[in-house]
Amino acid sequence: MTDEKFTDDRFKLTDEKAELALDILRQRLNRQLEASLEVCVRCGICAETCHYYVSNPKPEHVPAYRAEQLRKVYRQLSDPVAKAAPGWIGAAELDQEMVDQLMSAAFGTCTMCGRCVLNCPMGVDTRHIIRTARAMLTGIDMTPEGLKATVDIHLESGNNMGVNEEDYVDTLEWMEEELQAEVDDPTVKIPVNKKNARVMYTFNPREVKYFPYLIQAAAKIFNAANEDWTLSTESWDATNYGLFSGDDDAARTIANNLGQAVKNVGAEILVMAECGHGYRSQRWEAENWVGESYPFKVMSFVELMAQYIDEGRLELDPTVNDKRVTYHDPCNQARSGGIVEEPRYILRHTVMDFVEMEPHGIENYCCGGGGGMLSMSEFSKDRVAAGEAKAKQIQATGAEIVVTTCHNCLDQLAEVKRHYKLGVKVQNLSELVAEAIVWPRRAESPAEETE
Amino acid sequence: MQIVSVTRAIAIVGLVLGLIGIVLRVQEIRKRPYKQDLSRTRGNVDQALLYAFTLGMAPWEKESTRLHWMAYVRGILFHVGAFVAIGVFLVSPWLAAIPFFLSLVAMLVTAVGAVAGFAGIGMRLAEENIRVLSLPDDYFAVFLTSLFVALAFAVLLWPVALPAFYVVAALLFVYIPFGKIRHCIYFFYSKFFFGQSFGQRGVIGKTEKRYLTEEII
Repeated sequence: MTDEKFTDDRFKLTDEKAELALDILRQRLNRQLEASLEVCVRCGICAETCHYYVSNPKPEHVPAYRAEQLRKVYRQLSDPVAKAAPGWIGAAELDQEMVDQLMSAAFGTCTMCGRCVLNCPMGVDTRHIIRTARAMLTGIDMTPEGLKATVDIHLESGNNMGVNEEDYVDTLEWMEEELQAEVDDPTVKIPVNKKNARVMYTFNPREVKYFPYLIQAAAKIFNAANEDWTLSTESWDATNYGLFSGDDDAARTIANNLGQAVKNVGAEILVMAECGHGYRSQRWEAENWVGESYPFKVMSFVELMAQYIDEGRLELDPTVNDKRVTYHDPCNQARSGGIVEEPRYILRHTVMDFVEMEPHGIENYCCGGGGGMLSMSEFSKDRVAAGEAKAKQIQATGAEIVVTTCHNCLDQLAEVKRHYKLGVKVQNLSELVAEAIVWPRRAESPAEETE
Repeated sequence: MQIVSVTRAIAIVGLVLGLIGIVLRVQEIRKRPYKQDLSRTRGNVDQALLYAFTLGMAPWEKESTRLHWMAYVRGILFHVGAFVAIGVFLVSPWLAAIPFFLSLVAMLVTAVGAVAGFAGIGMRLAEENIRVLSLPDDYFAVFLTSLFVALAFAVLLWPVALPAFYVVAALLFVYIPFGKIRHCIYFFYSKFFFGQSFGQRGVIGKTEKRYLTEEII
């Protein structure tokens, strides 16, 4: 029976759709995936690694249970024993019931945060399995509406919120004026389409639409560090929801557009905004989607800020941030990207009282906002419920501010804060850094010297 | 004497069939495309691979194994018992020539391994999460392997148990490529990919503070 959340006709499985989904599984069955599908011994010790399970302990929330849904289909497809005794080895046909199970497991209750992967004694990559299941469902037009729309809008308009170029440039000019007023320096700039700048920066469209002060914060940091930087109007969206839908074609197109913009501008380094999945997509996945290595480097704004501090390019006054701060590691940056030391290094120079959550770093719990969950309203209730593990972590720190470096985390943490009545403020790391900057004294102009 | 020879021959046939099945499984996975990672390396892949196959398997290294240390240690003892039982099988024609000390160690390891194996079935039945996940194959595979380990212990004490040991060994070897025991083949691939992907990204296998020592740009 079709899940009541997915009653639309496109969620009904036909023979053609079933065959297409199986074809997608066959095509994606590489050594890495086969090893992960085969090696699980169903020991179940991955249970507590999942924030869904921790918040609501039931067998359906055990990562191995979710992966098992795709394994059933895989066994039916490739295991000779399945023909004679499907029940013995847990093989199952891809029918409507199975599709509903996959929808729930792959889209509904997994953020692909990878915590179970890191904790599996057998090395099962459940992230890979879940993304394959998502790819199969997306291939037969069964992506949940919000996620599908996010990818489609990005492909149609060049960014996932449909911001047009005029609005984008207007916002940049507005923020440039704001920054000039803030630092009382009319020479500070937000350069656009500057050829051969060292750094090309990106934004999450939410910054342009709802949080323009983050553009101002980034510009302040670049200007204070005296960076040779630029933005591009050709492609500037850091996000790539193709990672979440499992649609490699869409992911490739989106990644390629951004890559092409860097090449056209002639920048040496593409710096990804504070966007966990955007960083992961462009830094770790894009070259595999595109099929070639980039001629430029890709790094996170978090890495760059840490480098500025290390090189003495930013003078910071941590006393302006005197409240207790804790840091939430975005899964796509820490567990899937190795960025763990940098944000802590930055915070040690930016705030007076930094306290860790337990666990943290690569063992940090997902906040519940990963995997494109915020775009899939069908699963909102479960998403907020799964945020309980994070809420408890935050509460235990006694922090007044939760800092993170990812917009999906930011939104989910704001919702978790409201739902669990946490008395905290949720902020981006760059906000705190910008706040702490001691604005550099520029050399006085000759005219001023004469006066 | 004759029954020992006959059952030994059956076991050897089982072993050969099992090995053929393993080779076919290895061929199958090797036929699959290997997804090369084109992204720039951030960490130390060699270090991460070493970690994945050594310290990374220690019970204290992962939160999951720290929480479920008893189940994990039980699993380790069971597997060590199984490997020693295979050793007993290979030297079984020359049991009398095994030094007493070695025989004693093997008896101890197989006894503990067999108990750990049968306990695994109990744990599967007792814990809801594992029970829901478990397939008939899981119970059968663990039972068969535990029986094999228990009989390895038995033959070290009473060589008269050899025919039973050989018959169970034959069944076990033949079953390897068809059931969950074949995870022994995929384990090496899986751990390799684990070390490689997390090592590539600098998530595991770090030997020093990267940020303060490595130039990012």
